[in-house]
Amino acid sequence: MSVDNDTKRTEDALKHALRRQDAPDGFADRVLARVAAHNSTEAPRGYHDSWWQLFTRPAVRWATAAALAAALVAGGLHYRQVQFEKAQAERAQGEAAKQRLMLALRIASSKLQLARSKVNEINADQTENHEEKE
Amino acid sequence: MAEPIPAEKAADIAESDFAEIVRRHQAMVYSIALHFLADRSAAEELAQDVFLQLHAKLASLKSDDHVKFWLRKVTGHRCIDYKRRRGLPQVALDDVPECAAPAKAGDPWLSRRLRQLVASLPEKPRLIVILRYQEDMAAEEISNILTMPVATVKSHLQRSLAMLRQKMARALGEVLEK
Repeated sequence: MSVDNDTKRTEDALKHALRRQDAPDGFADRVLARVAAHNSTEAPRGYHDSWWQLFTRPAVRWATAAALAAALVAGGLHYRQVQFEKAQAERAQGEAAKQRLMLALRIASSKLQLARSKVNEINADQTENHEEKE
Repeated sequence: MAEPIPAEKAADIAESDFAEIVRRHQAMVYSIALHFLADRSAAEELAQDVFLQLHAKLASLKSDDHVKFWLRKVTGHRCIDYKRRRGLPQVALDDVPECAAPAKAGDPWLSRRLRQLVASLPEKPRLIVILRYQEDMAAEEISNILTMPVATVKSHLQRSLAMLRQKMARALGEVLEK
């Protein structure tokens, strides 16, 4: 009985001595500030890691390869189109130059024809005059 | 006493609830650390570390009971780790201020003396005594938290109580003689 009472008294005294105590003022605010600071320093590294980790996923690797192949095909087609348009422009320029040359030749030919007929007329007049004098 | 989280909300304790969880459980975590370490600044530092760890773990905890169980377990283990890492000295019993007329439960001298006696216990018995008398936990609950057999918990409790009673009686006798 005495031992039981002694135990009970000790247990009551322990419960009182070890009762919960309030945390210091501002404890929760300090915890939240540490969490915020922790998050702000962790976020960029997490972002960086996740950016690289994207390429460990098979789907992302396939999508990247497909995008690169599509870009190469599109680039090749674009280059071919540019070359074709350039050749067409050069052919058109050549055709225009040819037309201009032909026009110039026709003009020169008609001028020569005119000069020749004038020369022939002068020659004919001189022959008539010469015959009349004789 | 903490109010239980309703069942429909229990599944998703969101981060927005974290501040509320800290306020609800700060006295429990801080007091376990304070009674174990007998050092206010070390206790606050350790309690803050526990809540930081909780923040990272929060998504996987399903209810307020789960949070409370996790906090007690992690605080207990961190206390033991902290003590082993820092090699904190045992509390010197000679530092206890004397009093002419001790002592009944609730007496400040008796409480201070008991806290110092508890702080002088070996690590695991100390944690068991704190969980039993601060948190009013049964031996079965303590055995779950410390992952040790119930019989071992009960044995630690009995031996610790006997030792505390003996030391307390000696201290009282010394005071009465003076």
